[in-house]
Amino acid sequence: MQYKSQAVAMPYFIAAIGLFVGQIIFGLIMGLQYVVGDFLFPEIPFNVARMVHTNLLIVWLLFGFMGAAYYLVPEETETELYSPKLALILFWVFLVAGALTVLGYLFVPYATLAQATGNDLLATMGREFLEQPLPTKLGIVVVALAFLFNISMTMLKGRKTAISMVLLLGLWGLAIFFLFSFYNPHNLVKDKFYWWFVVHLWVEGVWELILAALLAFVLIKVTGVDREVIEKWLYVIITLALVTGIIGTGHHYYWIGAPEYWQWWGSIFSALEPIPFFAMTVFAFNMVNRRRREHPNKAAVLWALGTGVMAFLGAGVWGFLHTLAPVNFYTHGTQITAAHGHMAFYGAYVMVVITIISYAMPLLRGRAANSEKAQVLEMWSFWLMTIAMVFITLFLTAAGILQVWLQRVSDTPMSFMTAQDQVALFYWMREWAGVVFFIGLLTYLASFFVKGEAKAVAS
Amino acid sequence: MSGIFSKAMARNIFYGGTVFFFLLFLALVYDTERELPTRDNRQNLSAEVIAGKKIWETRNCIGCHSLLGEGAYFAPELGNVYPRRGPEFIKAWMQSQPTGAPGRRQMPNFHLSDEELDNLVAFLKYSSEINTANWPPNIEG
Amino acid sequence: MNTASATALTPAPPAAQYRLAGDLAIWIFILAELLAFGVFFSAYAFTRAHHVELFDAEQRALHRDVGALNTALLLTASYFVVRAVQAAERFAARASSHWLLGAMVCGAGFIVLKLFEYGAAFDQGVSLSSSPFHMFYLSLTFFHFMHVILGMVILAALWFGARAGRYQPGDMNGMETGAAYWHMVDLVWLILFPLVYVIH
Repeated sequence: MQYKSQAVAMPYFIAAIGLFVGQIIFGLIMGLQYVVGDFLFPEIPFNVARMVHTNLLIVWLLFGFMGAAYYLVPEETETELYSPKLALILFWVFLVAGALTVLGYLFVPYATLAQATGNDLLATMGREFLEQPLPTKLGIVVVALAFLFNISMTMLKGRKTAISMVLLLGLWGLAIFFLFSFYNPHNLVKDKFYWWFVVHLWVEGVWELILAALLAFVLIKVTGVDREVIEKWLYVIITLALVTGIIGTGHHYYWIGAPEYWQWWGSIFSALEPIPFFAMTVFAFNMVNRRRREHPNKAAVLWALGTGVMAFLGAGVWGFLHTLAPVNFYTHGTQITAAHGHMAFYGAYVMVVITIISYAMPLLRGRAANSEKAQVLEMWSFWLMTIAMVFITLFLTAAGILQVWLQRVSDTPMSFMTAQDQVALFYWMREWAGVVFFIGLLTYLASFFVKGEAKAVAS
Repeated sequence: MSGIFSKAMARNIFYGGTVFFFLLFLALVYDTERELPTRDNRQNLSAEVIAGKKIWETRNCIGCHSLLGEGAYFAPELGNVYPRRGPEFIKAWMQSQPTGAPGRRQMPNFHLSDEELDNLVAFLKYSSEINTANWPPNIEG
Repeated sequence: MNTASATALTPAPPAAQYRLAGDLAIWIFILAELLAFGVFFSAYAFTRAHHVELFDAEQRALHRDVGALNTALLLTASYFVVRAVQAAERFAARASSHWLLGAMVCGAGFIVLKLFEYGAAFDQGVSLSSSPFHMFYLSLTFFHFMHVILGMVILAALWFGARAGRYQPGDMNGMETGAAYWHMVDLVWLILFPLVYVIH
């Protein structure tokens, strides 16, 4: 750690990991409800569990992004953070707001929560991933703006590198596109159309800038490859990501009432979306192969390479699988979508946040890298979680293909629930893979507490 | 073969390309807004439908069901539930929840009034009349 | 691809050696664009095979002569851009800027003609949703049209640069990069025009 103010990243990372654990516990509950339908009913109905599962994911990734920015920006700009105090205040505001929201989901009926939080003034709730009550949404905006102010002011007074510029652009885009969550017209088609301005332009747009910037930063640090080389490839990759991803939004507009030309525009551009992910993988491996130093933090290198591969598989390959309109006609809204969603989020965003945590956390704790023992355990957690996620995806894909066949393609289509009963075996296997994932996550937690001879701080 | 590969040029192309494709996207969005009146069934956006949409949202129906294929995949698609089941079945179904059948997926009872049920049904009817390019493939959703 | 970035760090290669004109970054961008156009063209061909009569009938309604004029304008513009590059390579910055101006006049001519064409088409109710052919006709030509506009912005930047004497032997990367992009725009039109306007 070169700058004192980088230390504010630590609570953000800890909170991120804590919420990650919560997310997975609720995932396991939902997975079980898929096969034991009345599990925890009526205490935690599926829709509540799902809301907690997805909202925790978003919030912990945001914690991760913010922590990453607080760690990365001082080092890139070569100056202390504009206001570490503001960063700490925002941390507590965000954590308390997030916790209150989740408690609200769990202990207050959703309709009551909506009424109590001003949903009658401005109805924004009850839409997938944007279930947060109005005060929480406003809180997110306030925290995001104050955070961006802090980061932007730091950038203004320091060195401006490509990595920090791209990161900042991604973070600003994140805040700006979130504003569409306040637009909820009565017209269902328009509601859905602009809802994707948040969801798609986040995960297949501005978040990719954040992802690429974080990955580039860690690669510079662990490989010692020239900044010039890494930064120009960073630009090329994010160019490809946005060139394909922006119009690629069209792959969500096939069946929601939008004009039918989106089937062409969406198919063509989203068919090209795997290219930037493939480029990112090749780039990551190339840089590691051309490394000029052996960084003692092997675990961070593993996570960085894993991010490239899994993002390509999850977002690129599994996305392509069902992105063409004629295929999507049958797969839209089935377990195929769930399969893609799981691996893409894990491969791209979960893994990149863990990459930066894995790299930065030992430094924040005053050493270049963790002890050999701790790293071995962390690598075990990498393989457990990653392989478990591959199997979750494969089982959901199998369930999805069967579902499509029985319920959509067949001449005598089954009803939804009849088809669900037919694929229960795959849901059971998915749940067991989820248990392995959870074991991997616990292993990851344990790796933070393993003692052993730590590597000294690199100069 | 040799050549130049400069960071400044890569940066310019990134900014130029991003602005270019974002403007192209906005052009398509503009055209979509012009076409939507012919497809989105807005002429049937009555006060009941609007009230029904709010009930749909404040009961977090999307947390289990899908609507036009979007949402969760835990419970049936409801974009075409109106033609599939009809209004009376939908209301009776909601009033009889939860089934309590052991081991089966359970839907909460939301204790909706008759008026609220009618509004919700109006919303589902409106949704089913949106031009979705013939999706879903069959009535089972 | 890494050899290119590695050699970028070494001194300029001997003139006899093969050299990629323009920045590698623009070539990656050009390849991505050509890929997008290529897939779009294939989609066009695929759809046309299913609606041959409709496509034939509606293709005939297009103004082929205006399209031919536009082809001539773009080719001329490309020629002028080549002359501008050559001029800059022999220290003739003024001549170079004049050639670029000529290219921009041709590009502007293309844009004006295209706007008239669109105006007439819109008056007849042609839209992205009015028929499969119209969808492809408008999508492909408008996608290309926006490329011409971007190309004009780039030419304008080169023109300012040329007037400021920024390009000369040994320092041609900016101009060659812009020129490569313009030629790509031209090339795409050379495929688009026969495909959409001419071939029945």
